[in-house]
Amino acid sequence: MSDPAEDTRVDPPLHADEATMLRSFLDYHRDTLRRKCAGLTQEQLAQQLPPSDMSLGGLMKHLALVESQWFDQYLRDLPLAAPFDTADWGAHPDWEFESARDDRPDQLRALFDEAVRRSDAATDDALAAGGLDHESARLSPRTGQTFTLRWILVHMVEEYSRHNGHADLIRQSVDGQTGE
Amino acid sequence: MTQSFDLSTRTEAPLRADEVTALRGFLDYQRDTFRWKCSGLSQPQLARRHPPSTMTLGGMMKHLALNEVGWFGRTLAGADYPEPFGAVDWDGDPDWEWRTGAQDDPEELRTLYDDCVRRADAAIDAALARGGLEAESVETSSQDGTFSLRWILLHMIEEYARHNGQADLIRESVDGATGE
Repeated sequence: MSDPAEDTRVDPPLHADEATMLRSFLDYHRDTLRRKCAGLTQEQLAQQLPPSDMSLGGLMKHLALVESQWFDQYLRDLPLAAPFDTADWGAHPDWEFESARDDRPDQLRALFDEAVRRSDAATDDALAAGGLDHESARLSPRTGQTFTLRWILVHMVEEYSRHNGHADLIRQSVDGQTGE
Repeated sequence: MTQSFDLSTRTEAPLRADEVTALRGFLDYQRDTFRWKCSGLSQPQLARRHPPSTMTLGGMMKHLALNEVGWFGRTLAGADYPEPFGAVDWDGDPDWEWRTGAQDDPEELRTLYDDCVRRADAAIDAALARGGLEAESVETSSQDGTFSLRWILLHMIEEYARHNGQADLIRESVDGATGE
């Protein structure tokens, strides 16, 4: 088993075309989240930093959901991936955060890795079909417009970065670990 | 007290746009989100910590002001730091901006921040005119040569979003305010 403290992240290249650069930054932040959640027990993954009710395990399951929302639902008009497709969102709008505390660390990580694999395959297909101007199958409920793949990829970089900021403070409160 | 921020005026990145417009739109969204997270707070509130982290919102505002003139001014354009950053003994006091930002007058802090953003935008305009997103930085990385403007813009989006995630938890601990 690999050492969870080892930093295996790949720095984004300083010069690259747009698609390579966007995917490199996204991968960097996916790996940053993996690193912030690595080497912890189920109890540690469920720990909160009050007054916030977020947890590292909840963040990992939330980002697996966000991957499926953008790359399955919006981009391709597919249903959410399991287990999100059968959750009772009406009764439990924060289901992914609440249910994560019952998941084992290896289950959460497997769910997350599978979500990333699906998203990467969807990104490959969209780039082949229309490049970064490729349009989403579903419309924005706010503006009624399609999203471009470009918008979705930059948004995912900011989404992960924001949550990694949450993860920074939560992880530090769990076991003192800090670092970019 | 820091200036108030009307959230309905926050810049939104356009869903369908060319690369430059999209990246600058996302950066402005993150800057406005940060202004909002720091808005309406007194000097003691800007100096509050959310242990075990030692970060403060006041320190973060000065840190991001420094990042603006560091990346877009010094690295991209080869410009000297404006005051107050130019006269700092960074070797003797490497966390100067975090330390002093927690003591500064809130309105002066926000004025400094806005001025650094204006300088950064002017440097971005000049670099785009010179070489588009492939424009190379004047200053180089110690190991890897120059930075492209594309890399610097994406890095600033992730830098802001990460700090906004930390600001989410700090602000909630200061006065309970939450929100994306």
